[in-house]
Amino acid sequence: MAAVLRLMIPTKESVDPDDRQLVETIRGGDADAFELLVRRKTSKVYALCYRIIGNAEDAKDISQLVFLKLWENLGKYDAQYAFDTWLYRMVTNVAIDFMRNRQSRENAVNSNLRLVKTSSDPEQGVIVQRKEIETVFHEVSSVLSPKQKTIFVMNQMDDMPSSEIAKVLGCRESTVRNHLFNARKAMQQQLEKRFPEYSRLWRQR
Amino acid sequence: MISCRDFRAGFTAATADPKMLEHVRGCDLCLDHAAAIDPDIVFRAIGGGELVPPGGVDAFVDDVMRQVRVRSAANVVNVPSRFSWRKLSAAAAMAAGVTGAALVYHYERGTRVIPPPVTDRPAVVANLTTKPVVETYESENATIVEVPASEPGGAQVVMIFDESLPSDL
Repeated sequence: MAAVLRLMIPTKESVDPDDRQLVETIRGGDADAFELLVRRKTSKVYALCYRIIGNAEDAKDISQLVFLKLWENLGKYDAQYAFDTWLYRMVTNVAIDFMRNRQSRENAVNSNLRLVKTSSDPEQGVIVQRKEIETVFHEVSSVLSPKQKTIFVMNQMDDMPSSEIAKVLGCRESTVRNHLFNARKAMQQQLEKRFPEYSRLWRQR
Repeated sequence: MISCRDFRAGFTAATADPKMLEHVRGCDLCLDHAAAIDPDIVFRAIGGGELVPPGGVDAFVDDVMRQVRVRSAANVVNVPSRFSWRKLSAAAAMAAGVTGAALVYHYERGTRVIPPPVTDRPAVVANLTTKPVVETYESENATIVEVPASEPGGAQVVMIFDESLPSDL
């Protein structure tokens, strides 16, 4: 009976501290707690960076930069707000800055490039190839502004509602919806230009 | 995950149902079906979720913690920055205010630059004194340099370097 009771009592090790508790521990100078936080958030932060940036190595560098910023600014976190919202704000700020710098470098090079797909047969029905979707997305979304792309990724891939995105980006919900509308429109136009076989999906609508 | 039959029966355009999205992100056949109804689902099918960075999570975390330790050791972390744009702008505003106030004060008082008074008296001539002329000089420690005159009958310059000479000579 005693053994059963011991199993039922939650021990310190068996209970994962929530994010707020972890932050408090880190503020107390516990670097191990910070390591736990990094480990917990890495996959999510990296995924968001990768969707926005579209390059694995850059996304990894940006994710690391986000965690270093997190370490330096943890004192500014206000525990009355959701930790993930605060973390996502940091991710989007760093990723958007990176995208803006990269865009200005690449605009001159890529302005005249157009990806032409040769393997599709227009007579056959469109079969959506899952592996191609990400490639198509990165190509088509390259015309979006960094903010538009960030909003599109958070809404369409992370299933984040516009109200939550507005909190993350510190803007109004109507602004988010407006960016989403414009992003969809721009991407449809790009699909038409670059991937006509995919754009037929939209025309059928 | 719901079955393909349930998915096809229940899928509608612009759905935000997590079960539907979960299914379409894992089933290629249903993705085709869904894309024919709602083309926007194509990119939604990519999904967010979680991804592992190149090299794995462990290597990633190790890299981050190494950089954190380096920064901590360099005393960069947790040192409050003394520089702040707010402080700088406040200082600039105060400086501008003080300068502006000083300008207004001087303008209202009509402060002008007063030229120095002009007098008719001639300037004071320096009181020059004649030093004794040395016609002969002998010393074992002195160095005597005669500078040749620039023209015949011109003044002859003789330089005597001797520490025992009086200072005013």
